[in-house]
Amino acid sequence: MTRHTDDDAEGAGRTNEASGGCGDCGCGEPSPGVPEAGRDEQPSVFVPDEGEIPETDAADAPDPTRADGAGAADRAATDGGVESASGGTDSTELDPDAYDPVDVFPGGDLDLREGADSCYKCTSCDTSCPVAEVDDEFPGPKFQGPEQWRLKRKDDHDIDESITSCSNCMRCDDACPSSVPLSQMHNEARGQFVERQMEKLSVEYVRNRILANYRTSASLASKFPRTASFAMNFGPARWAMEKVMGIPKERDFPEFATETFREWWKARGGAQVENPDKRVAYFHGCYSNYNTPEVGKAMVRVYEHFGYEVMVPPQKCSGTPMFANGMLDDARRHAETNVENLVEAIGDGADVIASCTSCSMSLRQEYPELFDLHGIEDVAEHTFEALEYLRIHEDLEGELDAAGGLDDERAFAYHAPCHARNQGLSRQAVETFRDVDGVKMEDVGDSCSGISGTYGWKEEKYEKSMEIGAEMFEHMEDAEGEVGMTECPTCAMQMEHGTGYEIEHPLQLLEDTLGA
Amino acid sequence: MDRQVDVVVVGGGSTGCGVVRDLARRGLDAVLVEKGNLTHGTTGRMHGLLHSGGRYAVSDQKSARECIEENRVLRDIAAHCVEETGGLFVKRPEDSEEYFQEKLEGCKACDIPVEVIDGEEARRREPYLARDVEKAIALPDGAVDPFRLCVSNAADAREHGARIETHAPVTDVLVEDGEVVGVEIEHETGPGKRVHREPGTTEEIRARHVVNATGAWAGNVGEMAGVDVEVRPSKGVMTVMNTRQVDTVINRCRPKGDADIIVPHETACILGTTDEEVDDPEDYPEEEWEVDLMIETLSELVPALEDARTLRSFWGVRPLYEPPGTGTEDPTDITRDYFLLDHGDRDDLPGMTTIVGGKLTTYRMMAESISDHVCDALGHEATCDTAEAPLPGSENPARMEALMDEFGLRSPVARRSGQRLGSRADDVLGEYDPNPIVCNCESVTRAEVQDAIGEAGSDLNAVRLRTRASMGNCQGGFCTHRIASELAEEYPEPVVRDAEDELYQERWKGQRHALWGEQLSQAMLNHLLHATTMNRDGDPANLDGEVDFGAFDAGADAGDAGVDGSGGETGTAAADGGRASDDAATDGGRADGDAATDGGRADDDAATDGGRADDDAATDGGRADDDAATDGGRASDDAATDGGR
Repeated sequence: MTRHTDDDAEGAGRTNEASGGCGDCGCGEPSPGVPEAGRDEQPSVFVPDEGEIPETDAADAPDPTRADGAGAADRAATDGGVESASGGTDSTELDPDAYDPVDVFPGGDLDLREGADSCYKCTSCDTSCPVAEVDDEFPGPKFQGPEQWRLKRKDDHDIDESITSCSNCMRCDDACPSSVPLSQMHNEARGQFVERQMEKLSVEYVRNRILANYRTSASLASKFPRTASFAMNFGPARWAMEKVMGIPKERDFPEFATETFREWWKARGGAQVENPDKRVAYFHGCYSNYNTPEVGKAMVRVYEHFGYEVMVPPQKCSGTPMFANGMLDDARRHAETNVENLVEAIGDGADVIASCTSCSMSLRQEYPELFDLHGIEDVAEHTFEALEYLRIHEDLEGELDAAGGLDDERAFAYHAPCHARNQGLSRQAVETFRDVDGVKMEDVGDSCSGISGTYGWKEEKYEKSMEIGAEMFEHMEDAEGEVGMTECPTCAMQMEHGTGYEIEHPLQLLEDTLGA
Repeated sequence: MDRQVDVVVVGGGSTGCGVVRDLARRGLDAVLVEKGNLTHGTTGRMHGLLHSGGRYAVSDQKSARECIEENRVLRDIAAHCVEETGGLFVKRPEDSEEYFQEKLEGCKACDIPVEVIDGEEARRREPYLARDVEKAIALPDGAVDPFRLCVSNAADAREHGARIETHAPVTDVLVEDGEVVGVEIEHETGPGKRVHREPGTTEEIRARHVVNATGAWAGNVGEMAGVDVEVRPSKGVMTVMNTRQVDTVINRCRPKGDADIIVPHETACILGTTDEEVDDPEDYPEEEWEVDLMIETLSELVPALEDARTLRSFWGVRPLYEPPGTGTEDPTDITRDYFLLDHGDRDDLPGMTTIVGGKLTTYRMMAESISDHVCDALGHEATCDTAEAPLPGSENPARMEALMDEFGLRSPVARRSGQRLGSRADDVLGEYDPNPIVCNCESVTRAEVQDAIGEAGSDLNAVRLRTRASMGNCQGGFCTHRIASELAEEYPEPVVRDAEDELYQERWKGQRHALWGEQLSQAMLNHLLHATTMNRDGDPANLDGEVDFGAFDAGADAGDAGVDGSGGETGTAAADGGRASDDAATDGGRADGDAATDGGRADDDAATDGGRADDDAATDGGRADDDAATDGGRASDDAATDGGR
């Protein structure tokens, strides 16, 4: 089985761009009376898996089973990913009752003023914000979100610069008792700020763009991984980077793997298990590919252990670092490739599995909140975190019990990433391993690690980042284990940076304990 | 004897403020008296539409022409009170095409610049417009802040020597020898700036001429002078939405009807309105169905309104007037024109002129014509310059960048402050450093609040009107106390307390009619916060007895309090006067603690009264706060029975 083993998505992406998506067939054209497409209504580049181009004549009322009806029949448990349950984002016959202003705003702006309706000022978001806690200048999520949006007017507003101090940890989403779309408001505001108000030649913009597009740098570096790992952490080079780029010299750049995950996957001949009934599409993300392929390998081995057919579709960055830096255009470009390929995989009966909780967060929440790509709701619905999915579908406890645990006892200091917390996954690792013999896992508390992706990689934010992380470092030191554990690659960097511990992913421990 | 002034203007609405400004600028010695705040009556209860004249272009072209003329004047002289939103008259499929054409022709006939746009273009400009809106007429409607407008007029009048007296109801019109010679007013709370809890005094203000600009109340003032002014007050409801669903004024293009306009106003949208004649401008029913009607009908134009959050609703009373004998049945048919009643000619009672009818957009023109009339009567020669002279604050636009950089304001805060203060922004904001935000919803800083206090004294509703503080989505829940505490340096504690309470109650009053969904959550949160942190449901400071604050936090007797635990249970029950079972449930596991601290003296508490409150507080020691919190939902008289608890 060698499906989807292209090393990279570039080829696929370019092909589609070149063919102009399905712009020719008119599926993205607004019907009369519908405002013309804004940023969020661009024609999708999606082509269904049979290769047929659906008749997207706007007047045809979409039939929920039409687009790939027959194809879907023999693939139970999927809806083909073509029409979402809600009628899909391309339904041009708009039901006034299901009126969603997000879809119709021209010029690419979401108008989130209405999101301010849900806020009753309780300030739970501000009290849960790790940045506000250490940064007196930061006015907090309530101001950045509902207050700032409510004070806006159509042609008379700009975004306050303080939005760039939000680390996008999204803890405010979790704290809000009233479902204010805080992170969506922040993301959109940050996007507008960067697009319209940020000096495009500024060091800050260039630095942020580079940090946000980590995948591009990583992809280059992995061509010469050893040289890159050395050069990036070479003293004088780091001094220069801080001076010129504002990247703090205290941080160590992660090492690049000598063989990327995708190279390994190709070399091993792709999936070792074929199973049309149990398929998963692995969204490995950039970090597991370029830096920690052992996490990706663990994912494949564990899932194959449970009899899953693993697909590795072409993919780009999930967009998390781009959202955090307001680079929404970049994020959208990557999202197009991801959604297109993941929708296709879902059409093949797969669910989408991510090993990085920020990647899964992005696919589940930020994608549908910010973009209106064809099938994006389906991707969101079908995406799971790796451990979460197994806990839902497999008897993990029984398997672990049967495997008998580890011979040599190991102790871990586990930190739940904020983005895992938002998906309700903050206790999953501890719960999974607490009864496993030979494993001792301590939760180091509910504080934020402080790095928040690229936030801690900015020279001006470095000290704040370490101040936020102080509580976690202290609890890690107090914990018995000398090995850290977390699902998030950047939390792992921060944990390592603050304690010197080696950090593992729960999938690696699962691989060990299952003997997969 | 009080000295004589040239003119007393009764009524601090837009007309009265406009008149007093005009007269003062013409060099007359004028006094404005108003029974409440400026804008207290009708002006403060309108939807804030700056008419282009389009609404009257078919039915009343004279008014329409005046509107477009004054619309242009106000954009110029009152730039900081006006937002140039533009307006649309939108046509739905069921609305008459014939009327649409009539409207279009009418506008053209009145020199109102118009543009016809199709539905798609209308939705491009206002994306929340209903999809079946067919087309629209775009014209230069705008939004005007009536509070700021009146306050600026009054401020300018004061700069030109006028005296502005608020909270001073007229108790009598002085008539001597068949001529009006002045008015008697009562200072509800002392002369000058408002000071609470001072006994009221009356004052006779003798004047060469009295202008009755009391709008819907004109009949009452007329009565005091012994003349008949037949005002036909007509009420209309307006509902305030939390956010702006539209940034343009949206009118329904049909002949007449309720609920046909949405006006973007500052951070909110105001839905209006109804038109129903009432007997008494002070006392008329405010009914929930009227609010429902607004939302339901206007959702046909903007579907998003149906699920959007409402903040509050208010009713205003139009001062409609028609000459005796016209006998129009339907109030919507009564002309919107204004009338100047010279009581010398009309009732053989010289010395007084009444102005009725009209609308805010033409307030300046009305003021000019009445000032001309008064100058004639007094033989005073001066020209009117109110159409050219900018109001204080509108001399030049605020410098946003400066506000952000020099005063370190966050961008939306600087924008909103700049819009409210206009050219005064630099002076006002430069006063305070640090300058924290006092009202978050509307982004009002300490400097702006202090500036308003400087103008309006301790009346926090007057501060509210000047700054919009407490007018956002929390409706004062998170800021009344902060605003009140800005008074604390200058005013004694009871004044601050009353001022806070008054503002809080005013905010609550307007929410009652639209209390569901998010605003209901907000109101409950506000109530519980204020009840549990400030004892609003039974503030000990409002009791007759002195509160011994020193006794809180483990005060004097705290040491012995815990000694005697026996009899505590019965004590609690007895002290709470028959609410024993409720208490057991509410108190939960804390019953023992209560028993211990209440000690055996609880029986005494029940038997005696508030006089012992101090002792109670002492024995309760540090637990007093907790108790207050648990008692949250109880009626305030319970709290009174409980004494210091």
